[in-house]
Amino acid sequence: MKKIIVIIFLLTISLPLSAQKNPGKDHAKSNVNCKTCHVCDVPTKDDPCLVQCPREKMKTVYESPDKTVDVVSLDELSKKYLPVTFSHRVHAQMSVLSGGCGTCHHYNTSGPIQPCKNCHQTSRKRDDISKPDLEAAYHRQCITCHREWSHGTSCNSCHNLKTTNKEYQKEEVKKKVKGKVHPALIEPAKIVFETKYEKGKMVTFFHDDHTKKFKIDCTSCHKNETCLKCHDVNKTSNEKSKIIRAQKSLDEHHKKCFSCHKEDKCESCHLGKPSEHFDHKKRTGWVLNKFHDELSCAKCHGSKIPYSKLDTKCVNCHKGWNIENFKHTITGLQLDETHAQLNCEDCHEEKNFAVKPVCSNCHENFIYPRQKPGKMVRTK
Amino acid sequence: MPGKSRRDFLKTTAVIGAGVAGLSSSTAKAAPKNILSEDRMGVLVDTTVCVGCRNCEWACKTAHDLPAGELHSYEDRSVFTEKRRPGTKALTVVNEYSSGKNSNLPLDVKVQCMHCDHPACVSACIVGAFSKEENGSVIWDTDKCIGCRYCMAACPFQVPAFEYDKAINPSIMKCDFCFNRTKEGKLPACVAICPVEALTYGTRTELVKIARERIKRNPDKYVDHIFGEYEVGGTAWMYLSSKDFSELDFPKLGTNPAPGVSESIQHGIFAYFVPPVSLYALLGGIMWISKHRKELDEEGKL
Repeated sequence: MKKIIVIIFLLTISLPLSAQKNPGKDHAKSNVNCKTCHVCDVPTKDDPCLVQCPREKMKTVYESPDKTVDVVSLDELSKKYLPVTFSHRVHAQMSVLSGGCGTCHHYNTSGPIQPCKNCHQTSRKRDDISKPDLEAAYHRQCITCHREWSHGTSCNSCHNLKTTNKEYQKEEVKKKVKGKVHPALIEPAKIVFETKYEKGKMVTFFHDDHTKKFKIDCTSCHKNETCLKCHDVNKTSNEKSKIIRAQKSLDEHHKKCFSCHKEDKCESCHLGKPSEHFDHKKRTGWVLNKFHDELSCAKCHGSKIPYSKLDTKCVNCHKGWNIENFKHTITGLQLDETHAQLNCEDCHEEKNFAVKPVCSNCHENFIYPRQKPGKMVRTK
Repeated sequence: MPGKSRRDFLKTTAVIGAGVAGLSSSTAKAAPKNILSEDRMGVLVDTTVCVGCRNCEWACKTAHDLPAGELHSYEDRSVFTEKRRPGTKALTVVNEYSSGKNSNLPLDVKVQCMHCDHPACVSACIVGAFSKEENGSVIWDTDKCIGCRYCMAACPFQVPAFEYDKAINPSIMKCDFCFNRTKEGKLPACVAICPVEALTYGTRTELVKIARERIKRNPDKYVDHIFGEYEVGGTAWMYLSSKDFSELDFPKLGTNPAPGVSESIQHGIFAYFVPPVSLYALLGGIMWISKHRKELDEEGKL
């Protein structure tokens, strides 16, 4: 009995420990000093000797940005200026596409969030100069992005001088940023890249198809974007239609596309001129009409990307259809009495419904669709 | 008073000159004794961290009693359109270069005296006004300076500037590593104000270690070169960059100390009475040739 109690006791202790996120197999190769998370020099699987963290109130850096702290006020070093108050949540939301929480909360174990001053000393004249001091650490986090899109390093874009009533200003700023969330992202419909590939310089990328139709998650392509991708004081609104000159390396550009388009030929993306929106008829030879046009791609092609080619037989999808229960009206053409009696293959040769039906089997000089075996009930 | 000290200098030179005349040439050395301390200080400039706020320029001027103006006026980035050099009005300047990677994240490079471990200015100064101090700074005594500007010619980084526009008491101007501040235990003014600590102040030995560690951790970010680690025998100020230093207007210099080159040439020429001996040999040769010709001519006449 005693043993069981001990086991239960040990389990209750180890449960919150296991809540720590597994950093992955190859994490030893990452740019983090081992001592950030491990106490000993040679951590093993059996004895990882992890840094002890107070594990109640677990708050990890992997938290969803929408659930993070709304407003943060940095007031450790307010000598000349008032504390810097900013919307943490908006920044957390932006970080999703640009490196994640770890961009600011770097070298953080997957345990609780460490305050910056735990590692960064408050005085510039100090013993350990291998890490920047607190002032520099704060500034490096903010200025790198802020100067990128503002093209300046003006102090008062973040700082307020300690000249007016301290509490009043702090509350003002708090009120301004409280509850603020990042506005919905405006996606481009298509982007045209000009590449160096001689045989086909232009690559047209239909962004909306990839996000809306193929439901590809934003972060699968946009993980480490610069702030500038969206923010720039000099950005004009008509830049959307501009042709972007491809500047990254060949590998970098292809990597994202190749996860799906690996089998494609160069010419299917590289064309002589910007291409038109995806046309199911032109690209696949199968006209999407009536109901098919309104369906999501996944409805027919399944959720597996890249979509596989389907054959054109109706019964592949419409499993229950047969000559007894099929209502021809669904195609938009209501067969007249005579034609309703016929077998499918009398008009649709070899039951190939993808090609135009033939009239010549019975009628001379009759050509579909000039002559119809019934009346159109619905046009699209 | 400069005048008084110049007189002093002339007196001492006369005394030393008389002394040297009696000694053999091998005991006389051109460079003054400047001991390199193990714990000499330095600064590591990380150009990838610098944001080009130019607060250091303001702090430097303020610390050296030069007209500085308002701090916020340094937010003006239009100065970056042309490359500036440190001068008599600004002992340090920041220049901006394209990073080549992101046009909106340029590289900003602070320029000032490098405080060489084997300074050419110290070696070139004929009155011994320049000295390499124990804490790493290369400073000079304005009272001793006679304004010969040899230091300007000798400096491999062309840093010392001369107040040509001053009619009375013009002096040499350059970064003195805030010698008066560090003496009191304060940080150099530029290091103290830098908002991002792009300038790290510490012992030179530790800074080299830190620089190596940064390159090792971010091999994609940095070029594998600490400028100043070996250049001209090592400098107190060292630089890290994401771009080749030649593209940031850094001079391409060897690892030999700058004074070594000039000193060895000078000493080589003047050792073992080479100039007088060779002069007399040349004259003797000319005499011999002309005499020989004359003899030949006379033989031909006969």
